[in-house]
Formats: sequence, C-alpha cells, structure tokens
Amino acid sequence: MKQIKLNLNGEIRSVLVDPTETLLDVLRDKLGIKSPKCGCDRGDCGACNVLLNGRSVRSCLILAIETDGQEVVTVEGISQKGLSRVQETMINKNAFQCGFCAPGIIISATELLNNNPHPTLEEIKEALSGNLCRCTGYLPILEAVRESLEGGKNE
Amino acid sequence: MRDIRKFDARPKLDGSWKFLDDITYEGMIYGQLLYSTCHHGIIKKIQFPKDFELNEFTIVSAKDIVGKNLVPEPEPDQPFMAEDKVSHFGQIILGIAHPSKRTLISFIKQIQIDYQELPAITDIEECLENEDNVFGREIIIDHRREIELESNWIHSHEIYYTPHQEHAYMEPQGIISIWNPADRKMFVKATCQCPYFVKHAVEAIMGKAINEAVIETSEGIGGAFGGKEDFPNVLAGITSLLAYKSGKPVKIMLDRADDFKITTNRHPSRIELHTYTDPATKKIMKLNVDYRLDAGAYQTLSPVVLSRGVLHASGGYNIPDVYIRGRLFRSNTPSNGAFRGFGVPQALAAIEAHADKIASQLNMDPYDFRKTNIFKVGNEFPSTQKITENHLEECLDRVVQKSDYRKKLQEFKEWNVAHKDKKGIGISMGYHGGGYTGNGEKILNSKIKIIIEKDAKVKIFVSSTDMGQGAHTTLAQMFFEAIKHPREKCWVQLPNTSKTPDSGPTVASRTIYIIGTMLQKFALKIKDEMGFTNLEEYVASHQSDFPREFQIKFTPDPTVSFDDNNFRGTAYKDYSWAACVSEIYYHADTYQIELKKIWNVLDIGHPVNLKIAEGQVEGGNIQAMGYALTEFFYKKDFGRMQGFTDYSIPLSLDIPEIDIEFIHTDSDVAKGLGEIPMDYPAPAIRNAFHNAAGIFINEYPLTPERIFKQISSPKNHRI
Ligand code: FES
Ligand code: FES
Repeated sequence: MKQIKLNLNGEIRSVLVDPTETLLDVLRDKLGIKSPKCGCDRGDCGACNVLLNGRSVRSCLILAIETDGQEVVTVEGISQKGLSRVQETMINKNAFQCGFCAPGIIISATELLNNNPHPTLEEIKEALSGNLCRCTGYLPILEAVRESLEGGKNE
Repeated sequence: MRDIRKFDARPKLDGSWKFLDDITYEGMIYGQLLYSTCHHGIIKKIQFPKDFELNEFTIVSAKDIVGKNLVPEPEPDQPFMAEDKVSHFGQIILGIAHPSKRTLISFIKQIQIDYQELPAITDIEECLENEDNVFGREIIIDHRREIELESNWIHSHEIYYTPHQEHAYMEPQGIISIWNPADRKMFVKATCQCPYFVKHAVEAIMGKAINEAVIETSEGIGGAFGGKEDFPNVLAGITSLLAYKSGKPVKIMLDRADDFKITTNRHPSRIELHTYTDPATKKIMKLNVDYRLDAGAYQTLSPVVLSRGVLHASGGYNIPDVYIRGRLFRSNTPSNGAFRGFGVPQALAAIEAHADKIASQLNMDPYDFRKTNIFKVGNEFPSTQKITENHLEECLDRVVQKSDYRKKLQEFKEWNVAHKDKKGIGISMGYHGGGYTGNGEKILNSKIKIIIEKDAKVKIFVSSTDMGQGAHTTLAQMFFEAIKHPREKCWVQLPNTSKTPDSGPTVASRTIYIIGTMLQKFALKIKDEMGFTNLEEYVASHQSDFPREFQIKFTPDPTVSFDDNNFRGTAYKDYSWAACVSEIYYHADTYQIELKKIWNVLDIGHPVNLKIAEGQVEGGNIQAMGYALTEFFYKKDFGRMQGFTDYSIPLSLDIPEIDIEFIHTDSDVAKGLGEIPMDYPAPAIRNAFHNAAGIFINEYPLTPERIFKQISSPKNHRI
C-alpha cells in the first residue's frame, strides 16, 4: 500500500492505494467519485474516461499509483460550477437514453472542445469513436455536440 | 406529440444518476458466480485453493437452496444452479461472496473443477440441422388451401441462417440482496426489466426461509433490450441465497466477459422457405416455412419467442396457401432469451431476403414484386386474423418515394458498370404485433396504482421499468397531456414490488401501448366522473377527498380471441407497420459494406413523444446494422470471449445517416414501437448488397470474410 496525493476535481486528495489498483477502482471505491462507470474494465468501452492532466484516458487502464501528483477531472468536476454548454445541449436534445455511457462521452467531448473549439462532424465522430453507446445509435449525441458549437465558443 | 424533455436528462448529464454499481450498503460484501466451463458433463470434484481462509468466504451451491431449484418463469425448466450435472457452458455451479472483491476474484480463478465430459452440441448448425435435438412444443400454423401446384410455377427454395446476437447493454447485469431476519424479508435492488419475475424467482429459491421478497429497481438501468428480462431472475436468486447465508448485504456485478459468456442472447435461427410463384401474375401462391430456433440448454423464454416468430414468418405478403412449422432445438449453450424483436428479426431475415430472391428469378424489381404481393385490407394473416388497415403499403410507397429509390436504382446500375466498387439500394418491410401474443395480455391482467395528493401531485405506480427508453417520461406524459395537468405534478415512481402493483413485465413493446393507454383512459375517466376541467382546482376545492388512491385494471377487448392450440384468431390487437430503404457502398478490394443511409417510414399510431420515439428508431436501426454487418460470436469457443474486442458493435465512426418519418400520427392509439426498428433494417441492408454486387447471401452477418468466402466458393448463390 502506498499513500498518493492527487488533485481531484480541484481538490487535493490523498489516498492509500495498492500498486495494482486501477484509477477507476480507487475513484469509485475509495474516493466516492461514481460518475466514471465500469463497462468492461479492459479499455474497450470508454465509460470510465476521465481527464488526466487535461487528456482523456481510460481510468480502468491506468494504475492509481501512476496518478500521484497529477490532476484528475471527472464529470463531477466539470459540473461543479454549473453544466457546460455541451452538457446543456445534450440535455435539451435528449441525447442519451440510459445514460450509462454519458460520463465517458462528456469527458471525450470536453477534451475535443478544449483543443478544437470548432470541430467538423468527422472530427466529432473521431473524438467519440472510443466511447461505446448501445442505446442511441450515437446520432443525437453527435448532433448535440455539433449544436453546442453554434453561437460561439464552448466553455 | 410533444417533445417533453426526459425527467432524468439532467442527472444523467451531471454524473449524479445512480446505477446499481454506484450503490453500497453498510457491511456489504461482494459476490461472484462460478460457472461451468464444460458444455455437458458430470461434476466430479470441486477443489478450492489451499492458501485462502475458507471460512472468510460464503459459498452457496444447489444444496443450500431452501425452496426449489427451478426458475419459475417464463417456462419452468431451468435450475438456478447445477446439481451434479452441467448442461451447458456458463451454467452456475457456485455463488461465492467475500468482503474484498480482489480476494474474491483471485480465489475464484484458482478453483478447480473436474468434469466427466459428455457429448455436447455447441455448434449452431449442428444443433439446428439435426431433428433429434427438437424439444418443447412444436407450433403449426396451417393455412393451407386446396391449391393445385401448376407445373410452370416458379419454385424458390432457400435456407436462411442468423447468428447469436449479444445485447451489449453498456451496464452489465447486477443485483444487490439484503436479508432482514427481523421481518424475514429479502430486499433486492435490481437492474432489470421485470421486477415481478425477479420477485417470483427469489421467493421460489428461498422457499419457506423468507416471508416475502421485495424488489426495487436501481434508479438507473443501463440498457436492457430484452437482456434483463430473464437472467436477473437467476442472478437475484443466487445473490439472495448468499445474503441469507452470510447475513450481509451482497452485491454481484458481472464483469463484461462473464456477461457476454453466460447471459442470454438472441436465438440463432435456421429458416427454410419454399415458395411457388405464378409467373403470369407474379403472385406467390404457396409458402412453406420451417422455422427453427436454437434455444440453448433450457426452454425458459423460447416458446414465446417461437410463437411470435412464426406469427411474423410470412411477412407482409398475401399468400393463399401457407404452412408454417416452428420448433425449438436444444444445444449445450446458455439458454437464449428475449432480445428486442423477439423472433421477428429472424423471421424477416428469411422472408425479406426471399422476396428479393423471387423478384430476381422473375426478373422483377423488388419494389414492384412487393407491391404485387403485399396484403390488403380484407386479406388475412396465416392465423386467419383479418387485415384491417393498409398502412404497410402506405409505408412502403412513402419510403420508396422519399428515398428516390427508382432514380437511385438506375443511377447505381450505370455507376456500377464503370466501377469495381459497387453501390446498392435495398428494400424491406415488416410489422410487429404490440403487447403479449394471443391471450397473453388477458392473462397478465395488468394493474396500476395512482395516488393524487392534496397538492394535486399525481404519483403513478407501475412495475414497468425505465431502462433508458424514456418509458417513465412518456407514461407520465400520457397521463398529464390527457387532462392538461402540469407536467411537474405528475411522476412515475421507482418500481418497488411492495408499493407498485404488477403491471406486467417491461417487454413486447407493451409499455406505452398497454400501460400508457390504461393511464390515458384512466385520466379521461376521472375527469369525466369527477367532472373537472382542471384537476388542480378540483383538488383544491375538494381537499377532504385527498390524498386519494386509485387501482386500475386492464380491461381486455372482448373481440380479441386467440386459439393457442391451433394458432388461430387475433394474435395481436394492433400492429405497427414499417418499411425501409437502405443504401450501401461496397468496397470491392476489402469486401466491406459501408452503410450510407437508412430511410424509415413507420406507422406506430400516435407517437406520444416524438424525440423519444425517434430515439427508439435510431437505436434500433443501429443494433440492426450490427446484426447485419458485424455482430457474431464464436460460440464454439466460449472461453475466449472477453468482451467488445471479440464482438464488434457499431461505433460512432460507422453510423449512416438516418431518416425517419411516422405516418398516421393522428391516430388515437399509441402502438408498440420499441422493437420494430430492430426488425426490418437488416434485410434491407442485405438486399442492398445483393443489388450492388449481385451476390445473394443467406446468412448474417455480412462480414468481409463471409463475402470473400461466398465469392470464392464454387457453389455460391449468385442469381
Ligand atoms: S471500463 Fe474502462 S474502457 Fe470500459
Ligand atoms: S445511452 Fe445507453 S449506452 Fe449510451
């Protein structure tokens, strides 16, 4: 077991971890952060995506111990001061059905829009290609991301 | 037809919506299933690893079952756990629980089971070709007329195959059970479609040990598509047994690989069709269907899938002489179960491909061929039920018109001459009967409870679950729109069997059609009886009458009757109709089919919430696309299935454009919708490939490997 410190959603948290524990398990079971979901636990589905130093990663593939001293942002963090424009558009467009894939998709969409405020449809599809969704057929999600671009910058 | 935003849209977006695995209880421990890796055999020895403290674990086997080792519903033939014999890969042998997930996993990995292996059927073809494997009740729909075969009639014969399909809901299956010795109640938190099925299962396995099982669903159910109709019964039974034995709350979440390996799938099928067509009139005169499903090791849900399948097997065609035979085949694989479509995607895979086959034998355009043979008002289904509306033909005409089918057909033909790659366009059509088959709804006898509070808040209690399809939003909407009540005053409560009456399972496209209609009628009835125009004002001026509770019961339509023995009569009161055109691009170098666009025209009656309805069509279309193009299992080698790397569902990069139009939306009836958009697109994709490349493939999925094989095989079906 080793004590690690990370900046989680803007707060410094320290936690005791086993060197083989994944970031996903530590977030969910030890730090009370439930938005990243476990859809496969082997890097296939993207439901566990979080931002690690601003980059979206699959938290089921990262060992918690590697994140010592790093910055981790989850949907809880993104939503702290109200929802972002893309989240609001997703609500208005009923973009999700069961919503199990939603946290991971919000992370991927947020990363995309941070780096590329005006992506094309192809770029949006590409950015979300690592997130599986079985309910919606992706269309309303892609549309919501696209629509959130209209009228300015995404914050 | 208003677009009411889903009541759960916001919590799903801010990360606060709770799924089963997001819930923990004080003192909760974790469970897992140990299942058979042998397809058929006798359990000789179970050996636990040495370096663990055995008494830290709670272990249950069939011997610990207090009640009966038989899952009571749907067909009571499947044990919860194996006794000394296993009948299929994935059969559960032990339930094991421990406070640490990690210890539990490493313990289970090291358990050794020795089997004496027995001969097993694991291959779909081996199962479905051999009539010795038939089990359960055979269904015959005999609509033969004494028609003499003419020698010049065109005989078309083909066998169609469809594979397993995995639901691939994003949230794996899970259950939490909590045993309370004080009141002898087992509380179960479930991600499931049918809380009352789960209740009956837990009460069956626990027998006299408990007074009652109370089932409550989790707030979020992460997709289901039929997959959470029957497996949760088994899982809840075993989890409850562990909770009872350990005295602690127990949570079992399946990991993805186990979920893929041991839970139900769509039934593989082998459907053999013979048709005889009169070349003069171009009409199909005679159809013979041999409809076979691989049920897996037990029947469970298969008899009802079979009955729906055969009732849809002749498609939208008016054929004077029809004979349909439906049978279940047993194999040593996990029991197959409910999956959106319920036997109809298999039925259409055959009949809709066959229509194109006959059309090409007649040298006729597939649309013209369908127009010549489509049924009309006054014709009848093979069950003798009369056709009362001609909306299928309207769907077909409309979709052909809006997709520019004829023009594209011509354009592609010219384009294809000059190119190695090919473009293609295909049609399909279908229908889906709403609600339970035959007398099913009468027997289900659904109930609803409503409480109107002093502040005019309406609480709706139904056992129908919202697994993402938006059922709870739409159900509430049907109530408040009927009497113009404010939407924020109308809520569907979280299903809990101690509070919600049994309004039947959340299946068979019945939730809006049956339960929603009950709610809507009830709203209008109280409006009439109490004589209000505004419920809020009425409640305010009659405060002493409230809160008030109402019980509502399903009233069967007396004109609906069905003879289950002979499969005659009104199989379904209302049918949804749909037709589809799909456009593909075939990459000849890589043998790959790229789906470009799907046009849907549907008659589902009145779409209560257009956005939600469109969402069902889009989601169903994309599952059908996976069914047609990429999804299949190497079932012969279960052990290797690990998850989404072995089973490809469509990604955001793969999806086509989708065009949706609903017709006859001013109808009074909100008919079934959940399943039909999964039923019909796959054959349209297949037919588009046939149109593009001139290659007739009788089996899904149309992977590059299959296309390559078909092209290089000497006995390919080029027609
Ligand atoms: S849970 Fe991490 S990718 Fe699926
Ligand atoms: S909305 Fe259910 S998986 Fe995406």
